[in-house]
Amino acid sequence: MTAVTDQDHTEHTDHMRRTDSGSGDTGSLEHVGRAGTGALDGTDRAGGLGHASPSLVKEGPADDRSGTGGRHEGRGDDATDGGSGGGHEEGRGGHRAGREEGGGRDGAGREEGGGRDGAGVLHARVPDGSIEGGPDTGRERPARVRDEKNADLGQGQGTDPEYSRDTEPEPERDRGRSTERDHGRDTDRDRDRDGHAVQDRDRHAVQDRDRHDAQDHDRHGEAGGDGEDGDRGRSARGRGGEQGVSVPRPHPHPARSPKPRPASGATPPKPTTATGAATPAPATDGEAGGPQEAWDDGLIARRVTGAASAALAAERASAGEQPHRGPGAQVPVPLAYDGPLRSRLNALRELVGLSRTRLDSQTLAEAGRVLDEAAARRKLSGRHTVVALAGATGSGKSQLFNSLAGVAISETGVRRPTTAAPIACSWSDGAASLIDRLGIPGRLRRRPMHSPDNEGQLRGLVLIDLPDHDSAAVQHREQVDRILKLVDAVIWVVDPEKYADAMLHERYLRPMAGHAEVMFIVLNQVDRLPGDAADQVLDDLRRLLDEDGIALGEHGEPGATVLALSALTGEGVGELRETLGQFVAERGAAARRVAADLDAAAAGLRPVYATRRRAGLTEEAREEFAARLADAVGATAAGEAAERAWLRNANRACGTPWLRLWRWYQGRGEATTGRHAVRAQADEEATARQRVEQAVRTVADRASAGLPAPWAQAVREAAVRGSQGLPEALDALSARAGLPPGRPPRPGWWPVAVLVQAAMTLLQIVGGGWLAGQIAGLMAPNLGVPVLLMVCGIVGGPLVEWGCRMAARGPARRYGQEAERRLREAAAGCGRARVLDPVAAELLRYREVREQYGRVARSRSGVV
Amino acid sequence: MVTLDVRPQLLDTLSALRDRVAAARFPLPLAGAPRARANRDELLAQLDDYLVPRLRHPEAPLLAVVGGSTGAGKSTLVNSLVGRRVSEAGVLRPTTRTPVLVCHPEDHHWFSGMRVLPSLTRVWDPDRDPAEEFPPTDDEHARVLRVETADTLPRGLALLDAPDVDSLIADNRALAAELICAADIWIMVTTAARYADAVPWHLLRTAKEYDASLVTVLDRVPHQVVSEVSRQYGALLTKAGLGDVPRFTVPELPESAWGAGLLPATAVAPLKSWLVHHAQDPAARQHIMARTAYGLLDSLKSRMPELAGAAAAQYAAALRLTSAVDSAYDSEHARVRSRLQSGAVLAGDALKRWRAFPLDCTAAELLDALVESLAALLLCAVTAANERVDDAWRREPAARAPELVPRNTSLESAEHRIGLAARRWRRELEEYAEDEVRVLERTGAPDPEVVAALVATAVLGGRRARTAGEGLAERLGAHGVLRLRDRAGRLLAEHVDRVMHAERERRLAPLDALDVHPEPQAELIAALSVLQKER
Repeated sequence: MTAVTDQDHTEHTDHMRRTDSGSGDTGSLEHVGRAGTGALDGTDRAGGLGHASPSLVKEGPADDRSGTGGRHEGRGDDATDGGSGGGHEEGRGGHRAGREEGGGRDGAGREEGGGRDGAGVLHARVPDGSIEGGPDTGRERPARVRDEKNADLGQGQGTDPEYSRDTEPEPERDRGRSTERDHGRDTDRDRDRDGHAVQDRDRHAVQDRDRHDAQDHDRHGEAGGDGEDGDRGRSARGRGGEQGVSVPRPHPHPARSPKPRPASGATPPKPTTATGAATPAPATDGEAGGPQEAWDDGLIARRVTGAASAALAAERASAGEQPHRGPGAQVPVPLAYDGPLRSRLNALRELVGLSRTRLDSQTLAEAGRVLDEAAARRKLSGRHTVVALAGATGSGKSQLFNSLAGVAISETGVRRPTTAAPIACSWSDGAASLIDRLGIPGRLRRRPMHSPDNEGQLRGLVLIDLPDHDSAAVQHREQVDRILKLVDAVIWVVDPEKYADAMLHERYLRPMAGHAEVMFIVLNQVDRLPGDAADQVLDDLRRLLDEDGIALGEHGEPGATVLALSALTGEGVGELRETLGQFVAERGAAARRVAADLDAAAAGLRPVYATRRRAGLTEEAREEFAARLADAVGATAAGEAAERAWLRNANRACGTPWLRLWRWYQGRGEATTGRHAVRAQADEEATARQRVEQAVRTVADRASAGLPAPWAQAVREAAVRGSQGLPEALDALSARAGLPPGRPPRPGWWPVAVLVQAAMTLLQIVGGGWLAGQIAGLMAPNLGVPVLLMVCGIVGGPLVEWGCRMAARGPARRYGQEAERRLREAAAGCGRARVLDPVAAELLRYREVREQYGRVARSRSGVV
Repeated sequence: MVTLDVRPQLLDTLSALRDRVAAARFPLPLAGAPRARANRDELLAQLDDYLVPRLRHPEAPLLAVVGGSTGAGKSTLVNSLVGRRVSEAGVLRPTTRTPVLVCHPEDHHWFSGMRVLPSLTRVWDPDRDPAEEFPPTDDEHARVLRVETADTLPRGLALLDAPDVDSLIADNRALAAELICAADIWIMVTTAARYADAVPWHLLRTAKEYDASLVTVLDRVPHQVVSEVSRQYGALLTKAGLGDVPRFTVPELPESAWGAGLLPATAVAPLKSWLVHHAQDPAARQHIMARTAYGLLDSLKSRMPELAGAAAAQYAAALRLTSAVDSAYDSEHARVRSRLQSGAVLAGDALKRWRAFPLDCTAAELLDALVESLAALLLCAVTAANERVDDAWRREPAARAPELVPRNTSLESAEHRIGLAARRWRRELEEYAEDEVRVLERTGAPDPEVVAALVATAVLGGRRARTAGEGLAERLGAHGVLRLRDRAGRLLAEHVDRVMHAERERRLAPLDALDVHPEPQAELIAALSVLQKER
């Protein structure tokens, strides 16, 4: 029996120990439902969802006061758990996976079992599931609850752990007395330490009957349990005892049991219980300074941070925040970027959109990431500044973390690497979603020590303790790399031994040089340096940082802050706190970080956007392209041929008939070479393909010269795409635009010339006939006139011919030029439409993108 | 146990192997090339600085190199072992920029010469006052080894204080690696804050890989945590398979801190006695030396094939580049041939001229146009081939070698060269025509220029120049025409081939200049197998 009871306790403790998780929530919900305190559902769930961080120190009381009994119930459970101190020891054995559910069921079972005990029992048990808290806080919570209970009830039955420790040898005997004493002491302690606790207690006492009941019951149950442990046979505790007994039954479910239960089976009835109960108490005492208070309201905080309850958030805002911040700050105010930054982000977004078709996704990945992160950050609280503590292993990150928080939150030690997972600590509320974004689970979220000094100075700070970046554990480095991209600012912790490590400078500081404004570099462990060595090292560190290209924030200039401190002795920590406080109060870090990211992304994209010189299609290149196309269609040759043909025709038309006769005779023997045959197949490939190809290639090269590779490629592709079908088009065009085949047109003066030529010939013939007639004696001999006529004809014919040729030269040249021009223009037009325009469009697109890039990079790189 | 004596054959084989290694080049920027180059350099350094001198002079003093991260306290350790300040120590990092070798005065001759570390110039200043400051190094870039002598060191042992292995200064890192390679005994120094750092662990793994005689020193351990830290460090070492490595722990003492002074002798006594023992006890000394030397010889078994593999990869990449050029030029060549066949040269200007010939166009003009058109065709082919090569090479990392980036002037000069070739073809064609006309030996023989123009048209014009053939036949007779066309066709093919070939060679010239051959791979492997036989 005893053993069983112990087991039961163990389980409870386990629940508390266990870090919260979804299943736990459900468990608790179930219980609540069954217990009939349905009203609490929402809150409970929120609490379950919430993170074990000891958060919301201040708001807790307010919340409670607002009357959501569920929360009290929660506390009640705590009480139960705590009360079952006997189990603590065993429970501490380890956090057991899969426990929550079991616990839930457990609780349910217990409720059923203890039904007769009344609602109190139910209440007491219900919370079990929802209690799971951070491993370290788990221990404290019960103690607190217990105290409360004691204070309220003043019942002598509960075996307070502390008491039992005190009275280890004979717990049963002294129980009543000791409890009272215990309770009194506890109350005092509580009051001294924690106003909230007192408030709670008051609240408990005055406000809420139900809750009282519940707590009473808790206490009873607990007391019963303890009583059982201590003194199994007591009838007065019978109820509790029964309850305790009823509890274990559901336990042995296999689902629940995989966890090692070190003490459960073997727990010797009394002494073990006593010791077990005793152990948590010291822990409570020991750690009371910090997390205990925090823990008090942790449950509420968890509920608050739970994303589900917007109403709750509002309530919290009104109840908890107003006193401090006034009505302005209701819900976490999303971050607002200032105008220039916003427009730069928009420009980058457009830039990415415009470039997506041109650049591969890998090139744009970084820009996309920056945009995503900027958008994600923007949705989250602007009142908080997420600052990461990064550094090498053994540099004292965790120690600095603890010393800033005022509590030993993060484990420190000589074992390297010490911190394996990032831990978050938030100085004010509403940062949950920010921490969610970093992927830090709820069990690794903490609250700093509660002190007005701490609170006021660093309000809005979310501090992340990172694992090291240089140890042999690669996954640490991955985690650091991941989180460093998401935080608003970084404190690099270096120590005198490692401040010049290549890994730190080459892998982190140099690439992040642009983020100097959101960087602190802290030389830790100066206490290890003798005398002025600290200053020397600090100077050397400054020199190295300068070499890394990190702007140092000296003389009021923006840049990284370099400080020397010792987390161990506290020397210089105040200064860091002050600087950090100012930094956080400015609330500009997130925007500056985004701006620095933007700068880095812009610098990364520079090679794919920026040009060395003005790019574009020059008039010269266009003309050269046209000339090459004209060559390809043979415009010059065609013009010359046309000119010559015109001249030839003119000569023929105006030549003396004798000459024509002679030519005709000549031409009859020699077949007209080529002319007709060629014309028969003129339609196929009249354009020189190779010349077109070369022309397109040249113009594309000219246009893309100096462009960044992707855009040059795009220009070339546009040109090549346009050039497809260009030769065929030119073929068709040269057939159409060229001069009509056949004879060239005849000018108006030709008939006159022909007539004159004919007249000359007629003169010759008349003269000749006349002479012949005289020789034949048919006519009167008269030499003068016929000879004159003949001479006129003979001389005049060539004269006219010569004159005609002279007169034809001009028109022939015009004709030829016209022919050339027509071809040339047609070819140029075709080329422009098909190649130059697409190329120009592509260049325009580039220029647009280029301008966009200029807008993105505007602030620093000073491009264009 | 293996012993170490002078074995001439082994030395010969080793130096042959060394030459092969030195001859291996990895000029193409492949993914593995930097690593291969580093491996080669490291191997060379180990052969030159350690293995060959050690095998040649087994009696030379043991060299223990103290290596580790920056700020690990290497210099302080060396100073403490020696008993006086021989190496500069301080709070500013990196402290040791010039390596310091300390040995017994009678051992000095072993190190003053170029027996080991021949790439470092020696600085020895025996009269230097120990109290005065260390002389600043004049030239940052000179690789210098400072040799110090100290009576406090036993004979047969030399200590070398190396720069940090993870220095911000890349040269320092390389030098540190080189120095460590020259050691008989590797003394790895790490600290309580550093023992989990990644970089020193790389070194430890390397030491394990080479099976070098290794000693680790856990330095600057605050005494509160001595046992815990050293236990954890031991666990890490064991996990890495280095559990049997001698491990010494030096606590952090006020006087040790930050270069001020020397550690008390007791702090380093275990390490010193270990070193002295191994330097003076013949068996231990033999063991230490043989282990490192044979470890290195054994490591050749895997490193040589690695180098050979890298050489093979280089050759394969070069082959890929070459074949990209070849295939581009081959396909363009084929395209040129097919276009010549189809008479693509007789197009555009040339076609217009041909249509006007002979009425409105002279033979010379026709020939000009044809030659120009031919040159354009060739130029287009060459440019297209180069473009395809560029495309193919863009996907090859090996093509990013600076030597392979094409110069801008190549296109203009290609145009020039091709124009020259085309004109030469024309001249030769005209000579043929004249020969043919002279053969006719009759009056009224046709003008050789007209014959040349017609032959060129017939050869270049494909089907569409049928009438040119007919005109020729009328002038020269069927027989003469056939002969002339054949000769002209052959001449054309020859010239086109020559142009394409010359351009391809030009394109390949920079790649050939890199001198990537398949031989190094085989030679490296061969040298290794000879060495294996010799052992």
